[in-house]
Amino acid sequence: MAADSSRIAIPAFGTKGKLWLGLLAAIMVAGLAAWGYQLTTGLVATGMRNVFSWGLYIMMFVLFVGLSAGGLIISSAPKFFHSHRYEGFARLGVLVSLACITVAGLLILPDIGRPERLYQFFTSPDFRSPMVWDFGIVILYGVLNLWYLWLLTRRDLAARGSRLALGVADTDAGRERDRTLMFWTAALALPTAVALHSVTGWIFATQIGRGDWFSPLVAPVFIAKALVSGLGLLLVVSVLADRLTNYEVDREELTSLGKILGIFLALHVVYLLAAERLPHAWANHFEFWAITSSFLIGESVYFWLWTVVGGAVPLVMLMIPSLRKRVSVIFTASLLAVFGTMFEGIRLVFTGYEVANIALPPGISTGGEYAGITTDIWATAGAYTPTLVEVAVTLGIVAFGALIVTLGLKYVPIQRVERPESYATDGGRQERQ
Amino acid sequence: MTNYGLVIDQERCIGCQACAVSCKQENNVPMGQFWNRVLTEGGDKIDTPSGGYPEDGGSGSLDMEYQPTACQHCENAPCVKVCPVNATYTRDDGIVEIDYDKCIGCRYCMAACPYNARVFNWDEPEQMPEEGTGDVAARPQGVVEKCTFCSHRVDEGLDPACVVNCPADARIFGDLDDEGSTVSKYINEYETDQLLEDRGTDPKTHYISGEMSPGRPQTSDKMESELDDVSPWSDGAEDVPSDADGSDSGDSGGSHHSIESDADPHVPAVGSGGDD
Ligand code: SF4
Ligand code: SF4
Ligand code: SF4
Repeated sequence: MAADSSRIAIPAFGTKGKLWLGLLAAIMVAGLAAWGYQLTTGLVATGMRNVFSWGLYIMMFVLFVGLSAGGLIISSAPKFFHSHRYEGFARLGVLVSLACITVAGLLILPDIGRPERLYQFFTSPDFRSPMVWDFGIVILYGVLNLWYLWLLTRRDLAARGSRLALGVADTDAGRERDRTLMFWTAALALPTAVALHSVTGWIFATQIGRGDWFSPLVAPVFIAKALVSGLGLLLVVSVLADRLTNYEVDREELTSLGKILGIFLALHVVYLLAAERLPHAWANHFEFWAITSSFLIGESVYFWLWTVVGGAVPLVMLMIPSLRKRVSVIFTASLLAVFGTMFEGIRLVFTGYEVANIALPPGISTGGEYAGITTDIWATAGAYTPTLVEVAVTLGIVAFGALIVTLGLKYVPIQRVERPESYATDGGRQERQ
Repeated sequence: MTNYGLVIDQERCIGCQACAVSCKQENNVPMGQFWNRVLTEGGDKIDTPSGGYPEDGGSGSLDMEYQPTACQHCENAPCVKVCPVNATYTRDDGIVEIDYDKCIGCRYCMAACPYNARVFNWDEPEQMPEEGTGDVAARPQGVVEKCTFCSHRVDEGLDPACVVNCPADARIFGDLDDEGSTVSKYINEYETDQLLEDRGTDPKTHYISGEMSPGRPQTSDKMESELDDVSPWSDGAEDVPSDADGSDSGDSGGSHHSIESDADPHVPAVGSGGDD
């Protein structure tokens, strides 16, 4: 017992576990079917048209790229500073990151008109395109997460005799070497994470043709957004895992991370948003109160969902000392932060397409029946509602991400059990259970 | 080097949509899509003016103008820069074109184009008639398409279809790098704008407004550079087509041979045929 340095969160699937797996499988099959349908009919099956040519897939891509940040940062930042803080979240964090970046990458597939030509990214890339940079960094980030998760757990996997150890043995020298490797991986992971979110932001921020996209603040905002939503998701998943599996969340670390989430929220929703809005409000208005109200009052439902439901409310919850230690409060605040961040991406895409730069009649040919502002083939402004097909495909991919987390909890020793003495003194303990 | 551009004289344009329709025909553009659109600057609807009729002896404020809009063939084309797989590229002669066999349909270029000049084949493109029209092969489902300045015609020494079919001679195509070309001269002589100049895309489509230009000089479907010599007033005579030219039945469609300052236009024995 004492010899075991790790724990598996789900030793075996019970009835509930099997039901959960069945549910995920059903959602994935539905998503696959919807994608098949979309492949045969074309992207006309989506709500996108010429006036509004990116939709739910890209909005969710933005969200999931952000979500993939938290885990990796929480597990690698302390490693980088040789600290043992948040050790209990390290493995789960990387697992969640891995699942999210996989979801993000997969979300691009259904958005592409001719996915069978994706190999062109390798045979004929244009290095001026932010999409090429993003393609590269998403893949790098995914691989890095996979490697890191394996590195964090391979000795424990070996100790359990799991085939996932891929032949690595559990030796003390090996564990020692792995710790050096972990340091270097952490050193690589942090800048990669920063690059991932910045580059994803630059996909939008480089575009002069789409309203507010062209802003140097987009990349820093994407980083802040990633910190908020990524940490939020990690807290949500860890509380759920604590309740539903053998994974045990460290209360003290949880409260501390909740506090950090509050700081991230303040940085993101209060500071960066203010920094983005103030110059516009100031330049466009004359009277003091006009400036103030245009600064404070947002333009769309998405704005409110994001800043109030996903920003102000969780921020207040995490600020009140009597509340912020409760697991239920941390859980709800995190959930709201993730939910709100979703609308930030939605809002970003909308601000790009809602208004056409040249909105003269008859407008832009939509390229198909269009149920937006008008019902003919012309539109002078963008409107978009996702179709059932898009929702089904998206849910299918998200379910796949959930499956990755679930299987990770089953097959990877996700919890390190504290071994107080240093590894060097506990030689000869590699004999198995 | 050659650098093709287009001048559109908004003072000459009568909003007839001939350029939009000939583009659709020539390029086999699918149903529901337009590469070239003639927009109305004025009221809320196509062909409606803004302002009101003169009433009670006052003066009216009716105002309307047309703005034919297609791909502007930007010099600093964001669509080219964003295309991840080099499917959109700038040809040596300045035309921005798409390789439809390469395009993966990511639509980043549509996000990048400030003019909404690009359309995407959301489903299997439908042509009317089914076998298609014009001289360009249909594009498949799932790729982006747009105006090519009729590169297939330009390669043959012909002006784009919209240019030869403009009854008001409001569209002039030519080489911006050639200072003697009509497009270069008009850009120098008239007040011209580019659309959304502030975006820094530097379009190769220029719009004349204010003073009306004499319009497209030659009446054949050939490009100016392919004519034996350029138009009658290319060598100095200012901004009016020569009287001789005007009296000549304007749409006879023959090439003008070299015409010295005041010579009679030479009418070839056989007209070279109209547009197509
Ligand atoms: S108008 Fe649009 S499609 Fe044409 S070159 Fe410019 S950016 Fe590209
Ligand atoms: S849709 Fe096609 S042409 Fe446009 S950026 Fe993507 S690959 Fe290039
Ligand atoms: S064909 Fe000529 S006159 Fe008619 S709409 Fe086009 S540019 Fe104007």
